[in-house]
Amino acid sequence: MIDQAPAIVLLAPFLTAVLVVLVGMKYERACFPLVLLGLSFSVAAAVQTILQVVEAGTLRYYMGGWPPPFGIEFRIDGLNALVALTVSTVALISAVYSKNRVPEENGDKISIYYTLLLLVVTGLLGMVLTGDAFNLYVLLEVSALTSYALIAMGTRRATVAAFKYAIIGTIGASFYLLGVGYLYIKTGSLNMFDIHEVLVAEDLHRSTTVLVAFILITVGVWIKMAFFPLHAWLPNSYTFAPTTTSCLLGPLVTKVMVYVMIRMMLTVFDPVYTFVQLNWGDIVVWMAVIAILVGSLSALAQTDLRRMLAFLIVAEVGYMVGGVWLANTAGLVGAIYHLIADVFMTLCVFLFAGIVFAKTGKREITATHGLFAKMPLTMAGLAVGALSLIGIPPTAGFFSKWYLIQGGMASGHWGYVVALLISSLAMAVLFFRIFEYALFGVKPAEGHGDHHAGDQGKFSEASASILLPLMGTASLVLLIGIFNQSIVSIITDFLVQFNLADPMFR
Amino acid sequence: MKALGFIAVLGTGLLLLAASRDFPNWGDPDSPASSYRLSRHFITETINETAVPNMVTAVLADYRGYDTLFEAVVIFTAGIAVIGILRRYGSRNSIPSARETPLTPKKPDLIVESTVRLLIPIIQIFALYVIAHGHHSPGGGFQGGVIFGASFILLALARDLKAAQNWVAEKRTLILACCGILIYAGIGVLCQFLGDNFLDYQILHRILPTDPVMARYHSILVVEIGVAFTVTAIMFSIYSNLSSNGKMKEGI
Repeated sequence: MIDQAPAIVLLAPFLTAVLVVLVGMKYERACFPLVLLGLSFSVAAAVQTILQVVEAGTLRYYMGGWPPPFGIEFRIDGLNALVALTVSTVALISAVYSKNRVPEENGDKISIYYTLLLLVVTGLLGMVLTGDAFNLYVLLEVSALTSYALIAMGTRRATVAAFKYAIIGTIGASFYLLGVGYLYIKTGSLNMFDIHEVLVAEDLHRSTTVLVAFILITVGVWIKMAFFPLHAWLPNSYTFAPTTTSCLLGPLVTKVMVYVMIRMMLTVFDPVYTFVQLNWGDIVVWMAVIAILVGSLSALAQTDLRRMLAFLIVAEVGYMVGGVWLANTAGLVGAIYHLIADVFMTLCVFLFAGIVFAKTGKREITATHGLFAKMPLTMAGLAVGALSLIGIPPTAGFFSKWYLIQGGMASGHWGYVVALLISSLAMAVLFFRIFEYALFGVKPAEGHGDHHAGDQGKFSEASASILLPLMGTASLVLLIGIFNQSIVSIITDFLVQFNLADPMFR
Repeated sequence: MKALGFIAVLGTGLLLLAASRDFPNWGDPDSPASSYRLSRHFITETINETAVPNMVTAVLADYRGYDTLFEAVVIFTAGIAVIGILRRYGSRNSIPSARETPLTPKKPDLIVESTVRLLIPIIQIFALYVIAHGHHSPGGGFQGGVIFGASFILLALARDLKAAQNWVAEKRTLILACCGILIYAGIGVLCQFLGDNFLDYQILHRILPTDPVMARYHSILVVEIGVAFTVTAIMFSIYSNLSSNGKMKEGI
């Protein structure tokens, strides 16, 4: 069964999703263990896959036994394997967090909620694993439809936000599909690697249609990843969604789309085409600079905790898009490493926001008043995530920023370097403000010099099912930072084939 | 904002026009899409490899069967999503609707009633034909499923939601939808258990009394039936949720 591992990564959550509907009709309590089981299988298979990839190089799995380009294949290299493992791990962590939150927030539809949760994971994993450009679109649809529903199941305002997301997301997906259609017109193939071969062999890189296909795919993916100025759907969606939803989607959806962008730029279109022939690096990096600045500075202006984090996602997307378009190895390593690190940092802070909401019922940043005394472990978890977002060693965020800054300096994009530093400062201000509230804060309503101000100073830690995921994520952030070399070596092994050290990429 | 939207639309339009400059000619037999080894293989080899005369069906359900599984999942997802957003269980947090009394008169209209009674069996038989005949003519699970689902919707429209739910109750719709997906994916997993890749139907010849090629041929039919289950159920589920405002009571 070991050679089936790539398929099991995806099939485990998928089949569980269907089972959860059936089982949930009668035994609602059985849903949660089933979800955990399915996702654990997925994580185990993803670990197995990445071990195989590290050992034996690219892994290929032919769906239906048809060799490409006739059938659909999973072609798993270092990049895929890393992102797939990240996705399934985050899904498992969010699922653990959901144990009491889903009954509380969506009590009448537990099985439906879990089905959607598993389907969105299936969709994201499918997008990451597949080697077929059209198949990617199909799974994009699965993940998109589920995320609209998962968001809309939140508060009343979430419905409106989800509607907006649905409209904008559909436009993005259509752009992507149109681009794939144009590629098919010119090449006659849908397999990513086959398209690349035909594009190079027949010198189609000069064709206007291929250029338009590239633009459409890139813009479509940018819409989906909320790259400024195409981010309008994101803040409200993640602010008003159920907390489990924002813990799952906040870290994953945008990052998986960054993966798709990297895959499209490097594997489908050639790096020589995207970086040298088109030569848009400068423009896109400047757009990324604006995204970083707007994202970080808007985050400063927010009073709602999750909304603030949502704007941080916009800034982080800017980091990665900029890093990729720097067109050098350090930038790409930084972007890919940041992709993985950022998933866990974002998960960390969203889990914190979820815990604060669960304990206090409040959404505002001020809800963190006095939390250090009350929930020291939770605050410790946040501290790790926050320090990583700011970029302080030995957390993961430090190393990714290190590579990104190196990449920026190597290409002479000083604007990008400065933007990274300003954004780090902004995040420092944001999180130290929270620390200040949590350490010295006095609840305004209960203050007035009363020594025994309510339950304020009392130790009242969050329950294990929501605390453990946060602890786990925080330790993962540290581990990814400490063992950054092994992750970076997988990434560099993946990047070697593109020969980015070639002087023409300057 | 309006001007910005106009510029965006104009830009997209110009982009699409620019792309068409470089298109192969309309119906050109030498265009990449028709001359590349992919389509040539499908045209010449489909009948040998799968024994299905209708190439489209073979590509859909076999060569790209994995895609089609997830197309069916997209529909399944849509149905679940609609339930997730709209469905309101019980009287808890229910918002009193503007009209509690149904629009349709309690007494069914004779003409509508008898027309529907005559039509529905024919629609359903035709749906079964479309599903089963996908191997030879345009058709298959998606189309047949939509037609089959439409017959229930017709019943719900002509009488009321209750009448249609007597045939397919809410729970049964969901079970049906899940079964459809499980049939499709189950075949795939069965292939894995027999030692081949996911959805590699040919290995099924070990448990079916046929050769590998015919195993593919028959599996395609089973898979199409699975798709039809899901599409039928989800069509009706989405309709009943939308028409009854998520209450599954009166409907339109």
